[in-house]
Amino acid sequence: MNNPIVKHLVAIVRIVLGAIFLYAAVLKIPDTAAFAGSIAAFLVLPYFGNYLVAAVLPWLELFCGILLVTGWRARPAAMLIALLNLFFIVALAAAMARGLDVDCGCFGKGKNGPPLLAIGRDLLFLAMAMLVIWQESRRVPE
Amino acid sequence: MLVKRADIIRLCAEMAVLVALAFAVGVGWNHRVLLNAWSGRATATAPAGVQQVAIPLPLGLMQVKELFDKREAVMIDARDRNSFSGGHIKGAMAMPLSEAETLIPEFSGRVPKKAMLVIYCNGYACEDSVELGKKLISAGYSSVYYFDGGLPAWRDAGYPLGKR
Repeated sequence: MNNPIVKHLVAIVRIVLGAIFLYAAVLKIPDTAAFAGSIAAFLVLPYFGNYLVAAVLPWLELFCGILLVTGWRARPAAMLIALLNLFFIVALAAAMARGLDVDCGCFGKGKNGPPLLAIGRDLLFLAMAMLVIWQESRRVPE
Repeated sequence: MLVKRADIIRLCAEMAVLVALAFAVGVGWNHRVLLNAWSGRATATAPAGVQQVAIPLPLGLMQVKELFDKREAVMIDARDRNSFSGGHIKGAMAMPLSEAETLIPEFSGRVPKKAMLVIYCNGYACEDSVELGKKLISAGYSSVYYFDGGLPAWRDAGYPLGKR
């Protein structure tokens, strides 16, 4: 299974995934209050909790994005991205089930489409992250 | 099996380092906003010289209806008194932005600082609810939200209105 074509394809997936999360982070970092507002719409966290998550999450996306693009420590970065996407999918599905009209805030305020589209996008990112984890796990030295 | 276990531990450790780094940088970068949100202070100057304000957070129609049904929030109408008399969210209290300076001290005496406040005005283009929210945050209220659909969204949904 050391097919060089597969190897290069996974490398492209890794770089694209990293670039997407870099882009998402750069959009959110300058406007913490707006992202906190998007999180508040889920009615899960208390007032300060919304701000705290809005302060930290974009930076986690930024660091993971950098690691995925460069390929250095890509496995923990891909694992964190996979976990984040799992969390986003559950949160969006729960909000939909409760009938809340949420905007995920994934790429800044008001540019994210309906929740169902966001869930589909997150599923795609999750699959991309899993592919990177699979490839990186095979490279781990025994 | 030992190799696998060591590998999992290393992976978890690397993930923990990444999360800790993001937490440290995120909290450091946003420390003024976080301090404002924590203490209820209204304004602070960002390191870059950009004015940042502790602002109330927006809520949508469904969230406001949920809070209304559970009676978990104090509804505040930021419009002028004539508009309030013409129709308002049932049970809301009038606090026109123009009278905020005189009404907030009296309000503070009656409503505890931990109460959840939902402020509204005439909908998305109306800034009065956000401005009133900033003043209430300055007065020490820590759980302040604004309903960005305002009265039009509430009325159009057929939800309960009060008139007087």
